[in-house]
Amino acid sequence: MANRGTNRTRLLWVSLLVTSLFLITLDLRGVSLVSSIRSGTQSLLAPIQRAGSNFLSPISNLFEDITNLGRTKSKIDALKNENEELKSQLILNENIVGELDQLKGVLNLAGKARFKVVSARVISKGGTGTFGETIVLDSGSNAGIKRDMTVIAAGGLVGVVKSTTATSAVVLLMSDPSFRIGVRVAGSQDMGVLSGEGDGKFSLRMLSATGQIKAGDVLLSRGSSGDKPFVPGVPVGKVITVDNATGQLTKQGRVLGFVDLNALGVVSVVLDNVGGNPGDALVPQAPRPAPTVTVFVTPEPTTGG
Amino acid sequence: MTLNRLPAIFGVFMTMFLIQEAFLDRINFFIGGFSLYLAIFMAWIMQEERNSAVTTGFIAGFIADLSPTLEAPFGLWTLVLTGMSYILATNIRAALDSELSPVVMTIVTVFGSSVALILFLVFGAILGEDVGSGAYVTQEIFGNAMWALLLSPLYVPMTVTLYRLTLTARNR
Repeated sequence: MANRGTNRTRLLWVSLLVTSLFLITLDLRGVSLVSSIRSGTQSLLAPIQRAGSNFLSPISNLFEDITNLGRTKSKIDALKNENEELKSQLILNENIVGELDQLKGVLNLAGKARFKVVSARVISKGGTGTFGETIVLDSGSNAGIKRDMTVIAAGGLVGVVKSTTATSAVVLLMSDPSFRIGVRVAGSQDMGVLSGEGDGKFSLRMLSATGQIKAGDVLLSRGSSGDKPFVPGVPVGKVITVDNATGQLTKQGRVLGFVDLNALGVVSVVLDNVGGNPGDALVPQAPRPAPTVTVFVTPEPTTGG
Repeated sequence: MTLNRLPAIFGVFMTMFLIQEAFLDRINFFIGGFSLYLAIFMAWIMQEERNSAVTTGFIAGFIADLSPTLEAPFGLWTLVLTGMSYILATNIRAALDSELSPVVMTIVTVFGSSVALILFLVFGAILGEDVGSGAYVTQEIFGNAMWALLLSPLYVPMTVTLYRLTLTARNR
């Protein structure tokens, strides 16, 4: 009897495994039913994710705040004093202020390049179990967002739109292992291909054997045909190390992205590139030192006495 | 397995999926991330008898495949979780005592989640998916295992309660 039970389990198991292999085959063959199941799920999930985002935004960075506590102790003391003064002047939601800063930054970047953009809030991101680096935006095809559009933040490139529903869009982040983008070095214009590796760092491989890179070089997106999926001239990252191993046909290096992909609140999707190729105009400028103001005080002789 | 348990199982895993996608995925865990969905699945399967375990694995895998942020082909999680459920329900469960202690459940959950993630990566790679750098993959798997271990006092009793609630009079 027990043996019959085991056989029945095995039969069930095998038939379910075959069913799952059948599903994989359907997806790999591009059957639209399978992809529409996922986009249907996204339509259902979007309102819940939006609610989750509103609920969790004050505590989503809790762990990062705890780990940075030691390093920011002195900053906290200084800010405490400043905070007391500011409290009396204005009480504003910190999240809204942060999002406004990000929005201002990204609109500055888009304005410089004359990109027509639509801004959206990040309401969710891909988690453990997906091994993919993605985010979900609260705007979709109703706002003009389509698949294969470039997504930017104040610092530069964020990723590319992977799929849309009427009210949401899934963005493949540039840190995803499957992400590839053609880049050029600002200044020398040497070209290469940048690949995501899952974390905040990226690998760069130059296309030509004569292409040179050095630490500190700024990389910009090279742009695609018809500006899809990438508009040209968007800052991508900075070269941090160059691999000088012998036997390589082309130079390779490691790159640090300009955008902190773990702290995205508001991003912009480039709908149209009105101004054409901005060239090197969007290369981030190094901060200029503020001029020191010197005040001379001459003591006046006291009268009377 | 009685068929009238299926809607309850589907409901529990769908709810966990929504919680994972809408809430937990928004939290920046400082090492890797935490898949509550996977942890609850492992703890659940430990309690199921063989036939139910395999069917539950298929349902849970199918729901996990619905994730719109997933890059892997649809059906990959179904394959992995159906396979894992069979291994857990037949080989691992048979080697343990009939009364599961919370400690044993936690250990199996932590290791089971890690093995499931590794299998997902391996099958994904075989199907042509890009796998991240070694450091990234290690961090994700280690992070998930660590959080699964630390948060087990919360989700293990919850899973046991939920499992008992889905049992019909005949199952009890």
